[in-house]
Amino acid sequence: MELLQVENLSFRYPKAEQNALEEIGFSVESGEFTLLCGPSGCGKTTLLRLLKKELAPVGEKSGQIIYQGAPQEALEDAGAIGFVQQNPESQIVTDKVWHELAFGLENMGVPTEVIRRRVGEMASFFGIQGWFRQKTDELSGGQKQLLNLASVMVMQPNLLILDEPTSQLDPIAAADFIATLQKINRELGLTILLAEHRLEEVFPIADRVLILEKGRILLDDDPRKIGPRLSELRPNHPMLHALPSAVRIWQGLNIAEPCPLTVREGRDFLERHFTSRAETLPTSEIPEAGETAVELKNVWFRYEKDLPDILRGVSLKVYRGEIFCVLGGNGVGKTTALNVIAGLDRAYRGKVLIGGKPIREYKGSALYRNNLALLPQNPQTVFVKDTVRADLSEILETMEIPKKERAARIQAVADRLGISDLLDRHPYDLSGGEQQKSALAKVLLSEPKILLLDEPTKGIDAFAKQNLREILRELKQDGITVILVTHDVEFAAEAADRCAFVFDGEILSADPPQKFFAENNFYTTAANRMARGLWKNAVTCEQVIACCRAAGGRQ
Amino acid sequence: MKAFANVHPAVSMTYFLSVLLVSMFLSHPVLQAEALLGGILFCATLQKRGAALRDIGFYLPLFLMVAVTNPLFSHNGVTPLFFLNGNPVTLEAFLYGISLAVMVIGVLLWCKAYSEIMTSDKFLYLFGKAIPKLSLVLSMALRFIPAYLRQSRRVSRAQKAMGLYAGKNITDRVKNRMRVFAAMVSWSLENAMETSASMKARGYGKKGRTNFSLFRFRSADGVLLGVCVLLLAVPLVGAVAGITEFTYYPRVDNIETTPAALAVYTAFGLLSLLPFILEVKEALVWNYYRSKI
Repeated sequence: MELLQVENLSFRYPKAEQNALEEIGFSVESGEFTLLCGPSGCGKTTLLRLLKKELAPVGEKSGQIIYQGAPQEALEDAGAIGFVQQNPESQIVTDKVWHELAFGLENMGVPTEVIRRRVGEMASFFGIQGWFRQKTDELSGGQKQLLNLASVMVMQPNLLILDEPTSQLDPIAAADFIATLQKINRELGLTILLAEHRLEEVFPIADRVLILEKGRILLDDDPRKIGPRLSELRPNHPMLHALPSAVRIWQGLNIAEPCPLTVREGRDFLERHFTSRAETLPTSEIPEAGETAVELKNVWFRYEKDLPDILRGVSLKVYRGEIFCVLGGNGVGKTTALNVIAGLDRAYRGKVLIGGKPIREYKGSALYRNNLALLPQNPQTVFVKDTVRADLSEILETMEIPKKERAARIQAVADRLGISDLLDRHPYDLSGGEQQKSALAKVLLSEPKILLLDEPTKGIDAFAKQNLREILRELKQDGITVILVTHDVEFAAEAADRCAFVFDGEILSADPPQKFFAENNFYTTAANRMARGLWKNAVTCEQVIACCRAAGGRQ
Repeated sequence: MKAFANVHPAVSMTYFLSVLLVSMFLSHPVLQAEALLGGILFCATLQKRGAALRDIGFYLPLFLMVAVTNPLFSHNGVTPLFFLNGNPVTLEAFLYGISLAVMVIGVLLWCKAYSEIMTSDKFLYLFGKAIPKLSLVLSMALRFIPAYLRQSRRVSRAQKAMGLYAGKNITDRVKNRMRVFAAMVSWSLENAMETSASMKARGYGKKGRTNFSLFRFRSADGVLLGVCVLLLAVPLVGAVAGITEFTYYPRVDNIETTPAALAVYTAFGLLSLLPFILEVKEALVWNYYRSKI
């Protein structure tokens, strides 16, 4: 049965020159898991919000949205369509977990006894019992998003719409969240419409994929057919980079066989067609140890006297002009280590040397003048003015750059990062990737020699990631040292000169990515997990494809 | 803890109001002593030993200060003990000072117990019904404040790590505060937009909203409420009958020992010891069950 039908839907924001959505038409069957993807700014959020009339943006709309056979406007029950937004924090309304779960039902005027039962039921389905009476403020990001999902689910929706719900979560919490969605879909038969840009886990479990480009539907098909159809449309379509590793490798090899989606299928596929006859890839040499830019010697840190140590004797050397990636799970001390290097937190034992000089000897803001800068996890925190330009101009002012020069410098950095047309926008109105780039622009204007990045790939799509990688390469060429902390194994494999693994407050190893990932068993890229039986150190999709080509087919 | 914390908010509220009412307005030495004793024992069950010791260090000097101040400044009464700078220090003023101190410390201890037991959600539950919007607004405020503080800390650290106004001098600090505050205003607005979208998406704004809470009124709560009201009624009747009247000036009254007066003392004594009795009972029952296993 068709649950939702969208016919000829076009939409234009007030004062906009172009339609945000152009003749969108699709339908969603009851019980289906539909994945909506596309580059940021393609209209995903606009489309999803239009489907929920309480959230519909203001503007000119034409076409029809039919829900359960009747026009959307006739739908009275606000709970029938559940909606989960991107930011886990700002969706939470009340201070206690149980109150948040009950909030929607209170609004519907459901009596206390019924609320008690429904809330209890949902809390146990989602495994919330353990933190049912806690304050919402004390939850982790993953728990918050799960709570948002559960508090929509208590209203017993027929259709669940989610707008990039995992973009602010770390990969482990994101995978848990996706698994929960799959459980809801399988066990409750709930219809799900999900917008996502991290496709590795979602792609295989979706029944159907919609690809949106510039406000139009580009493709609407089975996930297995998306890869081939996309490259038919354009051989090097940018959207291809966002697809799961298995699809990308299959795409690169051009073998007439159904497209694999998961790591397991990809591994099968590779082993059926290739042997490891060819030499394994040469491991890149450890870059020559040049001048040391940052050095930690046996650094210990804890937040308060009575709390446990976060860093337990971290030692580390980062050389000038190197891109150094720090990887590791949640709460192992990655971000803390970065904050210690940035001078935001002080080690109580051990030495931190920046450019060979102890960090304590930098007085006032000397540490940050033409020397070191940190781009925090949430790029929003970098902006304090009403336009990007004002923010950029401010940092030049504190550096005592004469007024005449400022405009030219801003233009130069904006051109370099491709944000010239964003300069007069409010920083909060930008998308995740745009905010990231603008924040980076602000940081770069202080002309740092050492750049620290905390989770730079969080919440940005595949294109923005590629872009960031290129920017980092350029900075490296200018001799800037980059230290970045990330959960994103794929990004580290492609961007880093060396990777380090942090566990339990210590740095365990630091090696070039190929060696680093080849020695790991599961903490490695999806491409490597597929190909490691054949070539241990093929880490990126490109490397796997290159190996396959060199080895030749099995026949 | 905390047998009394699990009591229904309506009952605990009634209880606190009754004890505070009697101990503040019926200034009879026996009743005040009972209130103080009850307060001490109640607070002792609510705290760890270390905190209780620290409390003694705070309340004992306060007690002495209040007790001594009155005879130094008030010279009423007919029994001078000694003369200070030519002014008589009287027995009556001295006793009144002590009674004042007993009352003040007693009330302070009860207020302390109140704030431990009557947490914000209980208060909201009780008064949210009268003003439905209020309870939601307060709950949202309690959610917003920690989020605001955290974000403002993040912004200020982000600014520092870019070298913007990172110096330690006053101009830098003030400028930094102002800039962060400006950013926080936009952040709050942005945040409010998303929160209101989330509220609308879950049907906020319809008529007939209900108020959900986790509290249940059990039969034990009913019994406790009955006992409370009964034990309060006795001293109130006593007050109307003039039994609890007590004067210190010009001469200290005798403490009445008529059967009616004894009934009043007993009733209020029980009332102020009620949480302690509940706590002891709970501990005994628990130990009894443990011994059975």
